[in-house]
Formats: sequence, structure tokens, C-alpha cells
Amino acid sequence: MQKTMNKPLLPKYFEMKKEQFRYGLAQAKRNKVCYLFLAPYAILFITFFILPIAISIFYSFTYYNILEPARFTGFDNYINLVLQDEVFLTSVKNTFVIAVITGPVGYILSFMFAWFINELPKWLRTIAVVVFYAPSIAGNAFTVFSIIFRGDAYGWLNSLLTEFGIIEAPKLWLTDPRYMMTILIIVILWMSMGTGFLSFVAGFQSIDRSMYEAGYVDGVRNRWQELYHITLPSMKPMLLFGAVMSITSAFNVCDVPRALCGYPSTDYAARTVVTHLFDYGFSRFEMGYASAIATLLFLVMILCKKAVSSLLGRVGT
Amino acid sequence: MSQNDTVRSAGVLRLVNGKRYHGELVAGEKGAAFYVKKQQEPFVEFTYAKINRLDNIRRGGTSSDVTVVLKDAANDGASYTFELNQGLKLYGFMDQHWVDKPVAKKTRADELHRLAELRGERIQVKRHLIKRRHPNRSVAGDIGIYFLLVLVAVMMAFPLIFLIGSSLKPLDELFKFPPTVFAQHPTFDNFSDLFVTMGQSWVPFSRYMINTVLITLIGTFGHLVIASMAAFVLAKYQFPGGKTFFAIVTTGLMFSGYVTGIPNYLIMSRLGMIDTYWALILPAFAAPIGLFMMKQFMESIPTALIEAAHIDGAGEFRIFWSIVMPNVKPAWLTVIIFSVQSLWNTSASTVIYSEAKKTLVYALQQIQAGGVARTGQTAAATVVIVSVPVIIFILSQSQILETMASSGIKD
Repeated sequence: MQKTMNKPLLPKYFEMKKEQFRYGLAQAKRNKVCYLFLAPYAILFITFFILPIAISIFYSFTYYNILEPARFTGFDNYINLVLQDEVFLTSVKNTFVIAVITGPVGYILSFMFAWFINELPKWLRTIAVVVFYAPSIAGNAFTVFSIIFRGDAYGWLNSLLTEFGIIEAPKLWLTDPRYMMTILIIVILWMSMGTGFLSFVAGFQSIDRSMYEAGYVDGVRNRWQELYHITLPSMKPMLLFGAVMSITSAFNVCDVPRALCGYPSTDYAARTVVTHLFDYGFSRFEMGYASAIATLLFLVMILCKKAVSSLLGRVGT
Repeated sequence: MSQNDTVRSAGVLRLVNGKRYHGELVAGEKGAAFYVKKQQEPFVEFTYAKINRLDNIRRGGTSSDVTVVLKDAANDGASYTFELNQGLKLYGFMDQHWVDKPVAKKTRADELHRLAELRGERIQVKRHLIKRRHPNRSVAGDIGIYFLLVLVAVMMAFPLIFLIGSSLKPLDELFKFPPTVFAQHPTFDNFSDLFVTMGQSWVPFSRYMINTVLITLIGTFGHLVIASMAAFVLAKYQFPGGKTFFAIVTTGLMFSGYVTGIPNYLIMSRLGMIDTYWALILPAFAAPIGLFMMKQFMESIPTALIEAAHIDGAGEFRIFWSIVMPNVKPAWLTVIIFSVQSLWNTSASTVIYSEAKKTLVYALQQIQAGGVARTGQTAAATVVIVSVPVIIFILSQSQILETMASSGIKD
């Protein structure tokens, strides 16, 4: 009985697919010029962004040192990473701590300050935007922290603390494993008001004022209720964009520890997943191993984005 | 039109054929007219009955510049674009009463004053210490927030101020105890050292600078053109694969240079581009953030504008170049700032080996590696590097914020 039911259905399904395909092809033909416009970007994007991900996944299952041809090793790289590479586990721990603290905190700070400055007069808001955004756009400005936290008595923090009698001898802020992570987190938080912050500032500006007036009539009584019931729901797209930016920067900490704490740092105390990847990729040329690290990192970032976007789906409801 | 109920706004009328007229848009309750400068007769005149529903209103995030496209049904559906410099408030549902009163709103207090004056009285006005602009704000909360804002702003600005201070300090002040933030005898020695002392080294500092400027200029220009072309068709045309491609690019926002660094190195060496600037410039051409911003912003361009140009017989490239691109200038600046920021700050140590081809940030790292004795020059070099993106941002921040208003990811 079932067989006779299935038989006419399957060809029908294929027919439908075929029809869809034909329609798509006709659409594509009619919009030929669109592909022409898209082509330069698409070719470059695929070559330098999509292909690398595929290559990364491929080499992560091999032993490859550039000189010899890649040798297939199955899951060995991943197994070694988790079971044998203690430095990797340190780096995962560090990255996790940095990401969990600087990601959400930086994100929330960006949002809060975008909200606070929203009601300032325009000229003051402009100044505030520049002051808050400057550290992240300034790129390498964080190197100034190597002067501020310098380990000798001339370091600004050391001399300040000695002056007030809080410490007696200068502390090695950037080379002592006890302080490194704290300093790193401070510096990364300093740089965390980035593109997401700008997006929030602009998002607040573009919310229709009359919605607040309507909210007031409907019984919204303080700024927090207003934030939760009116502002947050209308800013969801910006919130997701900001989250993507935060996740990306929180997981890709590399330049700051390398420049401030040395590379490699004392006891690997400031090693992150990306510095580990760098070490294997560009110092030891173990490309397969480095690719496995990159693949894992990428997977975690994608999962994080999925989690955040489903979380944001519930905001304000 | 009676003079009382009209709103006037200086602006530019842009016709579909690209001609622009400077003048004034006068809008009243029944219609609107555009007067070209110094002419008595209106250039175009509408009554609202003739205007179709206004297809689109581009409302910038913070800027008060507004573009209005009016379609004149009686006149073969010709459309006119107004760019209003100031004044008009526009609503999303623009039917007949689309023009609000000008921004200067009368408050109830003003009205009481006026009435009192008419009666010849003077009334005492109680002034609040802090003006409440919003009904849902408590004064204590406002004060708390401003206090917090000032505090954090100082913390954010301090390292940069300290940096500038250090770069201006002469050697003896750099190692003074206790250290100061500002230089007591500011000097530009550190900056001149960069060019004079290091000018005699094997590769002079200016060389690093020229390299970086070159990479940044070419990379940014190419990125702007290529990303805008792709953004244009993704934003304004429906074609198979377009939506999917954009979704992939949105995910691509998360592909940092570190994750793709190693395979990119392999690709570059296969293409023979290691140790050339192309290894830096070509990936920058395809940076996802630029396409993303551009596409989101271009969606707000009225489709009517493009359709009208189609009817006039303009080809896709002409539409893109002479209609769409001039309309998205704020987005240019945004794309430029992101591209400049990433190219200018690139150290490129993994793909460039020749010393003479290295970048500014690489030079900075070398100076920094010189240790404590080079503190002054490190600070000066950092100031040189940092100032370029920051200055570009300061100059273009209002347009950038306008673009960022459409930056959201719709899920």
C-alpha cells in the first residue's frame, strides 16, 4: 500500500524542485548584471575569507609543516590539544576568563554609556563619543600601558602607589603572573567601546521619540521600565550587531598580551588561544596543529553568536 | 498658501537627471513648492492631492539632513528629491499632513507668558535648578549618571593624555620621580628624533610611514569601490543567491585576521604574493564590515529613485555611479574609517619580510623593543600612529553615526 503511495510522490517532488530550479535560473538570467557587480567582491571574499576556513578545517586533520606534503592524521591534533598540550589548556583558561569578563562587561558598558550620553546636548554628546571610542579606534595606543604599568620605580602606577605608601617596593605588573591577567582585563576593557558602542549610540538616536511619550501615557514610570519595555525591543538589531562585535574581539585577544606581557609571557600566564595559534603557526610552522586551534576557536565563536541571538530574541517580551 | 502655516527650509532639489538646484522648499497644509534662489516664481509646485504616498523618507540617525522624494502623479509619475538642510520634521506615515510645525515649539509656559503680557501683567516663573527634559527621569538619577559619566570619561581619556604628555617630555622628565602626567618643559625632540636619529638608520622612519600610507590609500579606495558595487546589488535587487551571500558575509564579521591568518598565508604563498603589499591589500578589499555597513545603509535609498532612472534609460552602472553613490556619502566615510583603522594599524609581520617594506606599526614594535631608553620615541611614534584614525573619526563622526543607525543585524 505504502509503495503505491510513495511512487507518484517522489517524481512529483523532483518535478517541483526542477521547476523551482528553472525559475531561479530565469531569475538569475534576468539579473545577470547583478552578478557582474557582485563578482569582484565575491571572488575576493571567497578567496580570503571562505576558502581559509575550509583550508583550516582540512589541515586540522593533518600534520603539515609547509616543507613536507600534508600527512593525514585524523583527530590526532585535537586529541593532542586537549590531552597533552598543557600550555593550550592554560591558554583556553586565560581566553575563557578574558572573554567571559571583557565580553559581557564591555558589551554592557558600551550599552549603558551609549544610553547615558544619549540625553546630553549634541556638542557634549559628540565629545563623549570621541572620548569613549578613541581608545578602540586608536589601535596601538594601548602600548602606553607599558609605561603606566612599568615594573621599575619610574612606572607611573608604581610611583603613585609608593607615594601613598600602599606598596614599599615597585611591583612587576607586566611580568609577574599574579598581576598579568588583571592588567590585561583592564586594558582590554579600556578598548572595549568599539564599533558596537557606535552602533548603540546611533540606535538610541534613531528611536522614535513619540514612543516614549506613548509609553508615559501607558504608565511607564521610570527610566528602567522605559529601557526594558521601549528601548531594548526597538534596538534588537543593533544589540545583535554589538554582540557579534563583542564576541569577535573578546575571543581574539592577541596583540595586547603580546605587546604588554611579552611573547612568550612568564609561565605562559598571559597566553591566549590566539597567541598559542600564532606560536604554532608562525614560529614553529606546525600548520596542521595551528589549524586545529583556529577551527576550534571559530566553532566556539559561532556557537556563542547563536546563543546570544537566541537570548536576544527573548528581550523585552 | 497662506504665509502663516508654512514651513520653509533651505535645501537642494535634485532631479532624476542629476541636475541640482539650490533654493528653498516651502511647504504648507495643502501643498509644497520649491523656489530656486532669487526667483519669484516657484520652480515646481505640488498640491498634496497630486502626490502619491511618499515612497521613502531617509531619516538619518543623528543628522538633521533629510531627503524627501515626492512623486507627482499628475506629471507622469515624475519624482523629485528634496534634501532639506534643517527644520522639517517628517513622519513615517506621510499622508497629507506630512509637514509638522518648525522645530521651535511653544511650551505652555511661553503661552502663559504671552497671555499675561497681553493683559499687561508680569508673572513670576519658578525656575527649576535642573531642567527636566523628560518626564521619566529623577533628578537624583540624572546627577548619579552624570557623575559616573565624568568619572569614566576621565578614566578613558587618561591613558591617551598620558601618552601625549610622555611624547612631549624631554629625557630627564621621563625618568623623574615621582612621574608627572604633563611635561613641564614640553619639547618636540622625541618627534624629531623619529625622523632625524632614525632617519640615518638602515631603513628610515619616513620609509615605514610612506609604506603604510600607500597600503592604506590603495586598500581603502579599492575596498570602497568593490564593496559598494556589491552592496548596491545586494541592497536593491532580488536575485538568487543574494540573500544567502549576505548572510555569509554577516557571519564573516566574526572571521578575525587571526583565525584566517594561517590559511591566508598558505593562499598568499600559492599566489606568490608573500612579501608584496598585495598580501595586505587584497584581503582588505573584501573586508566584510565595509560591505555590511554599505548594504544596510543603501537599503534606505528610495527604490523609486532607481526605478525612475531605469525608465529614463540609465544603465545599472550609471545608476550606481551617479545616483546611488552620491546619495550614500555618509556611508563612504564609515567604510573609509573602518578600512583605514585596520590597514593603518596592521603590523603585517607574518606576510612581509623585507625590512624596506615593513609598516609603521612594525617600526613602533621595533622602537618599543629598544627598551626603556626609547620610551620617549615609543610615545612619539604611538602618537603619530594613533592620531591619523582618531582625527579622521573626529572629522567625520556625525556622518558615521548616521550610517551606524542602520547597522543592526536583522535576524
